[in-house]
Amino acid sequence: MTKISHDKVEVVVIGSGIAGSTMAAELGEAGFTVLVLEAGPERQLSDMISSQIWSRRLRWAGPEVRESGDLVGAANFAMGWGTGGAGLHWYANWYRLHPDDFHVKSLYGRSLDWPIGYDDLRPWYDRAQSYFGVSGDEDTNAPPGEPYPMPAIPLSKQSQAIKPGFDAEGLKLTTNTLAVNSVPYDGRTSCLLDGWCDAGCPIGALANPLVLQWPRARKAGVELRHNAYAERVETDPSGSKATGVVYLDEQGRENLQPADIVISACHTIWNARLLMLSANDKHPNGLGNGNETLGRHFTSHALTTIHGLFTQETEPHLGVSGANTLCLEGYEDKQPAKGAFGSRAWLVGQAAKPNDLLGTALAKPELYGETLDAYLRQASLHYGNMTVLCEEDSIPENRVTLDPSKKDRYGLPQAHVQNSLPQANASRLDLARTEGLRIFNAAGATDAWAGQRNPMHMMGGTIMGDDASASVTNSYGQVHEIDNLFVAGASLFPTPGAINPTATLAALVFRTADYIRTHRSELLP
Amino acid sequence: MMGRRRFLTRVIPTTFWVNIVIRSLSRNAEAKTIENESYKVLTTTEAETLAAWCTSIVSGADQAGVARFVDENLAGDQAASLLLLRYLDASDMAGFYRNGIMGIEKECLHRFGLSFARATVVQRMKLVEAAIASETQVWTDPDPNFFYFISRSDAVDVVYGTQLGFVDLNVPYLAHIPPPRSW
Repeated sequence: MTKISHDKVEVVVIGSGIAGSTMAAELGEAGFTVLVLEAGPERQLSDMISSQIWSRRLRWAGPEVRESGDLVGAANFAMGWGTGGAGLHWYANWYRLHPDDFHVKSLYGRSLDWPIGYDDLRPWYDRAQSYFGVSGDEDTNAPPGEPYPMPAIPLSKQSQAIKPGFDAEGLKLTTNTLAVNSVPYDGRTSCLLDGWCDAGCPIGALANPLVLQWPRARKAGVELRHNAYAERVETDPSGSKATGVVYLDEQGRENLQPADIVISACHTIWNARLLMLSANDKHPNGLGNGNETLGRHFTSHALTTIHGLFTQETEPHLGVSGANTLCLEGYEDKQPAKGAFGSRAWLVGQAAKPNDLLGTALAKPELYGETLDAYLRQASLHYGNMTVLCEEDSIPENRVTLDPSKKDRYGLPQAHVQNSLPQANASRLDLARTEGLRIFNAAGATDAWAGQRNPMHMMGGTIMGDDASASVTNSYGQVHEIDNLFVAGASLFPTPGAINPTATLAALVFRTADYIRTHRSELLP
Repeated sequence: MMGRRRFLTRVIPTTFWVNIVIRSLSRNAEAKTIENESYKVLTTTEAETLAAWCTSIVSGADQAGVARFVDENLAGDQAASLLLLRYLDASDMAGFYRNGIMGIEKECLHRFGLSFARATVVQRMKLVEAAIASETQVWTDPDPNFFYFISRSDAVDVVYGTQLGFVDLNVPYLAHIPPPRSW
């Protein structure tokens, strides 16, 4: 097939989500000519309709992923499709990994170590929180860093109802840290706390790529090409240099986009898959996969939500989708009991509407008919929730692979994710579930119950490391053996900690962008 | 080990009823364009079964248009779909609903010798409860519990998830951008 060929650019970025748009804006502002390829359609702020039903259009609509194992599901819920990717419906919970999270192997003899430590990333966390705009108060249980640029969002009625339970348990419940404006910031308005974050924030109080990165990127001359589905990265005959990206356009035609630097900034599964699809005679198992590590060490967070009904009114429809308050006390204790391993974090008081996956109706999926109606009328006024995130060990058996027996709509091998929660992490989650129910009962909930175990967030698969024989990239996301090919995103994480990944993802993007900027002469011909 | 009597009661009636259901649904598919032009993917019978099933789970789902909600979104582009199913299994959404509806009919015929439309309220509730408890006898694919989960979500969407539904629950809607229509 004859490819449509395009003029060479200095940098091509695959994916326009938080990682891709931040990278594009940074490199565009540094003077690089940058093109971004986005698989989905163009999005506008007007697409962010305040409805759990209508907002489903912002979610993933690309090729299906086959999932197996006991900690998978809802990949389509987590990923985005179109300008801004998942950044259009993310929850804006903003946390730093803790120092121990970077050294789990050394400290505990399990999982992996990162090739960098907290101190390496700390200045980039500081930079990222200023760039995105983060509201929050100092929390002695959080890692050190610059003060947040905005004060925290005040306690909601949900949090006020739940807080006595934490007090009774001797745990400190703090205000949350969110990339949501508590006051006007950087030309963007403050949050109205109406609980529609995951349907998209068209007023821009929640930092999303349409209001934050893309205005900067466009001003810097970055080009954004939609409906461009990356099929593979091409290399020169030696296999040591990436030469560009082949993508399929809306009509299914192959396009070749030459570039001096290629950056894969897709969602976790697709970063690994793209490198696998790019196999050639010099890299028969995929780019960066000389050691069979590509795709391995996929991780997630195991979660359980504690639900409850309270006597006081809790206004559950108000607030933010992420969480109103937070408990990191005890996070450092990765071995809370014999046979249990991993950190945990409590995210408390998520705004809940009646419908959708995180709505009040699905908090009690077994109810139907009149019982459901009666419950919903009570829950609309008195419902409260909190979710615990627990760490998953990073093990090679949990991985992304290609399934050559099944083709996606583009005729490419389907992605297959296998993820099962190791027993020690499952035991950790069981402890947290018991703790959560204790907290809700101590808070005076008239009814308290725990939801099922579910996954949240996807990380790993193109992990960074010092040892090229056991990782895919170095700490800058630079693919081993191919110096001008980079990966950006949570797929780089060797371990997941027990907190939402976006702050770390963003910090890594800023660090990589700085590396590319300061190594410009080596990376460009 | 399964005894011969149980084998007979499980397999022979199942085969019998499956054939009836398949013939019935097949006839419905052929007659669809004659019977009712208004559904795009589902047959009228399928739509009626789905609406009745959803109404057993969420009162008022039929009047709120749950069958049309599902049908219209199955007919459109997946990227524009408003169905919750797209989060969890978008590989063959129309097939999922068709097979689920067929499962309801199979189970109903097996248990009560009736189509779901002719079943009593109590019989319908027994089927819903069997799906919740994963205790259906002949309906296996798609997983009845998962079909219940999805169809319940659809019913909740159209009854409680719209601006009118919020009003009914006394929940202030507070839209930044109001939806152009309910769904």
